[in-house]
Amino acid sequence: MLDVAAVVADVRRGMIPAHVYNDPEIFALERDRLFSRAWVFLAHESEIPEPGDYVVRRVLADSFIVARDEDGTVRAMFNMCLHRGMQVCRAEMGNASHFRCPYHAWTYRNDGRLVGLPFHVDAYGGEDGFAKEGQSLLPAPALDVHQGLIFISLDPDAPPLRDHLGDFAFYLDLYARQSPAGLELRGPQRWRIKANWKIGAENFAGDSYHTPHTHASVVDIGLFREPKANKRKEGALYTAGPGAGTTYKLPPGDLTTRLRHVGYPDEMITRMRGAWTRAQRGLVENDGFMISAATLFPNLSLVHNWPKIDDSGTVVPFISLRQWQPVSANETEVLSWFAVDAAAPEPFKRDSYKAYVMCFGSSGMFEQDDVENWVSITDVAAGTMARRLNLNSRMGLTSAGKPLKPPLAGFSGPGTAYQGFGEFNQRHWLSMWGDHLLRPPPVHTSADMGAAR
Amino acid sequence: MTGTTETNTANVNVPLRYTDPDHQDAHQFLVEEAATLDRQDFAGWLRLLAEDIRYVMPVRVTTARGAGFDSLADMGHFDEDMYALRKRVERFGTQHAWTEDPPSRTRRLVTNVRTFRTGHGELRVESYLLLFRSRGDTRDHDLLSAGRADILRPAPDGHRLARREITVDESVLRTQNLALFL
Repeated sequence: MLDVAAVVADVRRGMIPAHVYNDPEIFALERDRLFSRAWVFLAHESEIPEPGDYVVRRVLADSFIVARDEDGTVRAMFNMCLHRGMQVCRAEMGNASHFRCPYHAWTYRNDGRLVGLPFHVDAYGGEDGFAKEGQSLLPAPALDVHQGLIFISLDPDAPPLRDHLGDFAFYLDLYARQSPAGLELRGPQRWRIKANWKIGAENFAGDSYHTPHTHASVVDIGLFREPKANKRKEGALYTAGPGAGTTYKLPPGDLTTRLRHVGYPDEMITRMRGAWTRAQRGLVENDGFMISAATLFPNLSLVHNWPKIDDSGTVVPFISLRQWQPVSANETEVLSWFAVDAAAPEPFKRDSYKAYVMCFGSSGMFEQDDVENWVSITDVAAGTMARRLNLNSRMGLTSAGKPLKPPLAGFSGPGTAYQGFGEFNQRHWLSMWGDHLLRPPPVHTSADMGAAR
Repeated sequence: MTGTTETNTANVNVPLRYTDPDHQDAHQFLVEEAATLDRQDFAGWLRLLAEDIRYVMPVRVTTARGAGFDSLADMGHFDEDMYALRKRVERFGTQHAWTEDPPSRTRRLVTNVRTFRTGHGELRVESYLLLFRSRGDTRDHDLLSAGRADILRPAPDGHRLARREITVDESVLRTQNLALFL
């Protein structure tokens, strides 16, 4: 029998019971207490630019149609017919004015409203037997958008998304708002890995320590702009609100030369200068840090990197968003998007896409080695001995639990930042995870569809 | 959200007869290539490629019949030129490419080869690929099923692969990564 309070208490000490990375009981708690409440990323507005455009995305086992209706409003609708529970949309994406259930032809407009019910009078006696008027596919209990990123929560009492994002919005916007045009996304590449979903989320949140070794090969072959992987220890790690991330320390320079260093063309730099706040510019200009990987709790990660994309050594940056979509305690579907500022010049978009495909995603040279590690961890976390091992996640702390060095003073961003290696961010992520696991599931009511009023 | 036109329709042109030497050359090229990759002779594989190769594997998507597309035009699992392929091969040659150390055991089954002459002295070759991949001792194996459309260009000592478009049959891949070539 799982003692969740004891697991969370261990995690708060920086000791992680290894079985949490492959434990069906933990997974059930994550489903009932975490994913039933948290804001979860579903899609980006650029994936559904036109009225009728839709994508179908999941939160664990729950399928949602994310559609732009004829008025341009973005909605997320539970993909289950009100009658017999058939999925009314079985494609991943497309454009449709209506969704018609294949079972009995109940038909819904792309805003979710039920508009077609065959033999309504013959079968139900009309409105008295089934009140069709005003019925619609179940909407996601809460939906909100930040910088085009569409999130839903299964908890109708979820706080407003912007309140939830809190100080992490400062960092999120460095990726998502390089210009007023915002991002456009391509993809996603989707693939399934036999790894627990938490491992990737923690890794992207703050594991700068793995880079020198796990990714030694991409440094060996000169793919990466930064010539020595141990440069990683000069970067800052930050925690802010529900997010955490890593940065690289850049060579001396000003905003322009540092953004040129990672490969941005001047016209994009001009737009970044205008789109970012003084403090956001200060992170690069004054502090000399460039955003790298980050995770927004629970399962959306971002990465920004700048490899060499040709034999002449041209450095081009790219952004990727990725979601660690839990399938089970030991399986995760990865959804990995290429993202680029919509206002970027076409040659930049082309080159940045090339940089992405080489480095991250299903075939990416960085990502390949990550996944091998995570699958291996998950595999061995299933057994009896893993229940006797608490993994040490205390890097950066003394035995008394004090930081080995003080937080960075004068860091331009909000939250708390440390320079050098440390597992501050993973502990931050796991602390939020523990908070969710200790809270009882949110209370919800069931909806009777079409019952007599 | 644009896509290419539906890809799982077979080429309706009439292929070369199996007795045609061009077909036999193309078929043998693909079988030798599969053997080269299965013995992980990646340097040998690079020598089979034209310097201006385009090697692409679009993301397949599930769309309604009549949507007009079933793959993404602007997103691939691979979208490679010679530089990118050389880097991938170079990486496998380092001591630090953990994902393939220990290496996967792979077997590429190449069938259903159809060869067409193009107007430029090149051959267009379509084939089916079933790639069996076993990693470690206890894990389940992975299968990748794909169609391939290649352009083979004559060279003094055989052919070179000048273009490959891989049409993978899953929208969600069931293998941990593409640390391999199809």
